[in-house]
Amino acid sequence: MKRNLFAVMTVLLVLIGLPAGLFGYQAWRTGQLAWAAGVRVVDIVARSPEQGGFAPDHLVLKAGEPVRLRISSADVVHGLNIPGLGVDVKEILPGRVVEVDIKPEKPGRYAFACTRWCSIDHWRMRGVIEVKADAAHPAAQETQTAPLYQKLGVNLDAVWPMDGPRPAQTPSAERAAAASGGLPESLLDPSQRVATAPADAFRQLRADPAHSQLGDGEIWDQVAWAWLHDVKPETLSMAGSLYSRDCAACHGPQGKGDGPAGRNLPGMQKMDATGDGASPPAGPADFTDPARMLNASDVVLQGKILRGGMGTRMPEFGSLYTDDELWAMVQYIRTFLFQPAGK
Amino acid sequence: MRWAISEVPFVKRLLLGRWLHWSITAVTLAVFVVVILTGIFGTPAGNHNFGIVYVWLVWWALLKIVLIPFLGRFWCSVCPIPAPGEWLQRRAMIQPRPGGRLYTLGRKWPKFLRNIWAQNFGFLAVALFSALILTSPLVTGLVLLAFILVSLVTSLVFERRTFCRYLCPIGGFVGVYSQMAPVAVRIKDPAVCAGHKEKTCYIGSDAGYGCPYFNVPSKMVDNTYCSMCGECLRTCPKDNIAFYVRQPGADLLHTKGRRLDEAFNGLMMLGAAFVYSVVLIGPYGWLKATARAVGTPGWFVYAGVLLIFNAVAVPGLFWLCVRLGQALSRKPAARTGAGGARTPGRRDSLFADYAAILVPLGLAIWVAFTLSFTLINLSYAWPALSDPFGWGWNLFGTAQMAWTPYVSGLIPYLQVPLLLAGLVGAIALALRTARQHGQPAWSAVPVSLFCLAAVVGLLTLYLA
Repeated sequence: MKRNLFAVMTVLLVLIGLPAGLFGYQAWRTGQLAWAAGVRVVDIVARSPEQGGFAPDHLVLKAGEPVRLRISSADVVHGLNIPGLGVDVKEILPGRVVEVDIKPEKPGRYAFACTRWCSIDHWRMRGVIEVKADAAHPAAQETQTAPLYQKLGVNLDAVWPMDGPRPAQTPSAERAAAASGGLPESLLDPSQRVATAPADAFRQLRADPAHSQLGDGEIWDQVAWAWLHDVKPETLSMAGSLYSRDCAACHGPQGKGDGPAGRNLPGMQKMDATGDGASPPAGPADFTDPARMLNASDVVLQGKILRGGMGTRMPEFGSLYTDDELWAMVQYIRTFLFQPAGK
Repeated sequence: MRWAISEVPFVKRLLLGRWLHWSITAVTLAVFVVVILTGIFGTPAGNHNFGIVYVWLVWWALLKIVLIPFLGRFWCSVCPIPAPGEWLQRRAMIQPRPGGRLYTLGRKWPKFLRNIWAQNFGFLAVALFSALILTSPLVTGLVLLAFILVSLVTSLVFERRTFCRYLCPIGGFVGVYSQMAPVAVRIKDPAVCAGHKEKTCYIGSDAGYGCPYFNVPSKMVDNTYCSMCGECLRTCPKDNIAFYVRQPGADLLHTKGRRLDEAFNGLMMLGAAFVYSVVLIGPYGWLKATARAVGTPGWFVYAGVLLIFNAVAVPGLFWLCVRLGQALSRKPAARTGAGGARTPGRRDSLFADYAAILVPLGLAIWVAFTLSFTLINLSYAWPALSDPFGWGWNLFGTAQMAWTPYVSGLIPYLQVPLLLAGLVGAIALALRTARQHGQPAWSAVPVSLFCLAAVVGLLTLYLA
């Protein structure tokens, strides 16, 4: 009987003790880690948006509270970017856990997003961290200002004319650089140029007698130079990385609007770029299309990146990009049509 | 030619005692508990989940490459699935109850189901969902949990190991292929058995239980239904049963009186090896995705094709080969029935007898198939051991070990000789079958060509 008793006890240990031990270890480990690091541990499980996206996708933290995020993926490779908190996890492999420590000091709302094309609905994979104020960390005065397109009263959804002048060849800031000069301040100063479309700039220069000796191609080169003369290579490099990460899947690596994720977007069927109902766009915006790009001002482009929408499932990037990044993106997508200096 | 290894005193003590089987079962049960827990609560990423890695990679490789070829059905005697039911049925784990009494409702398993047809169709049913089961930890966990519950209920209602003997989808092919094993439990002297009327080996005694698999050792001619649990060694008062080491595949040398359900198992397993090779390790991602998308129209087509291929096409083609060989022999069908008695006119019996040639071939094919993914993926075992749930643990310091294929260049050099050895074994057995059935040697040509086609087809797939 003693032998049977020993065997029974062993099996009970396996059937009851083992599960209790495993789950107990996890509970102890989580608690122990939090205690050891003096942090609160928050688990975030990433799943493709069709399966629910981030869980949880809404975190409420206290300002100044150290928190350890334990991020794992339940299906495919994801990424996690929390721009406002300086977190950029490039790879969350399925079955692995990535730990990131954060300590948000400033109360507010911090958007986070997946940065890997995990599914066709990747762009929906977002979340927000709400950081609450307390006595030690009072909420900052509301300093948020309206986006520029709103201040200027620009209607992003208006159909603008696309029948302006077009260059015969790719406008080149490089070609214009040597002969540049005599451009009006309204084009050279970005803050004044922001609401001007390149086609309008072309008309303005063409009508200026000072440029009467220049051909149309040279005028277009001057326009390209006006738009790109002050852009820095590192700005283009940074924006290029963001473009590859966030835009290329729909707009294509060369900006031609031919990215695989942009095919057959349901929203595109509702769009009608010409307003005559004849030719809805075939896909996401083609940044190499002169008709589209030369008639759009920078403020329109910035506003569209910031706000998204347009009925095309274009996501908003206003909550993820800084102001500098938004304008850098505008400059970057200009380079699909304007050849920058140094290229 | 056989050697009674149980005559070695140390081995005998080990086999007669109960601690060996019980200890291994306790370990497999512990692993099984972790498998179910990680399957249900762990990461859904299969390659980082202990359940998927240790069942479908480690255990499967052990079963196919080591246990079946070398120890026959021994796994069944230490399998954790029937263990809880059996312990409840016996109300004991080590020391048996007086007379080897079992505590069940004592219901008899229906006569028409006393074969492995249910196991065959059970395997096919599992095969329909295999692409999902093999990759989803949750589904694996739930399926294994269902197995253990069915086994538990069966143990309490029916006699002995009814689940293992008649229901377990794995047990069917494990039993059939265990005929290749170089070990066997057999009686020593038939005359001693003939003089022993009590048959304690079947009904049990104070020393142990009656055969859990409903075998009468004196009538046992192959390993198919013997798990080598050792009960008969313990209950035989005459010390007339031994554990033998013998020539591999010795059970197949008698080529008459084969059973149709076992023949179907061999054919079905051959078809399944083909389907798995194409779907699971072939270059057709869309096919694997379809096989995994249970319930979709594409999956129903896949399921239909799988069932027709395994249950109709492969057996049908083999049947045609047997008939062609018979026609070539220009002799009337003169077959044997169960027990070896010649039964003129029973063509299905000839079909079943010839189907036994698929045992060496099928085992070689399954080992080759298993090798194709085991060596490539075995390195997943290390991280899964340290972090079984995918919760970020690092129990043994191996959680971050990267995936590394092991000697992948060697795989074809193992597969080709294996498949050729299986083919040679099958053809040799076909020739023996023809001879023992009074047919000329070239009657074995059609079934041999069938086997050759199977090997060529698989080699094309593996080496492409």
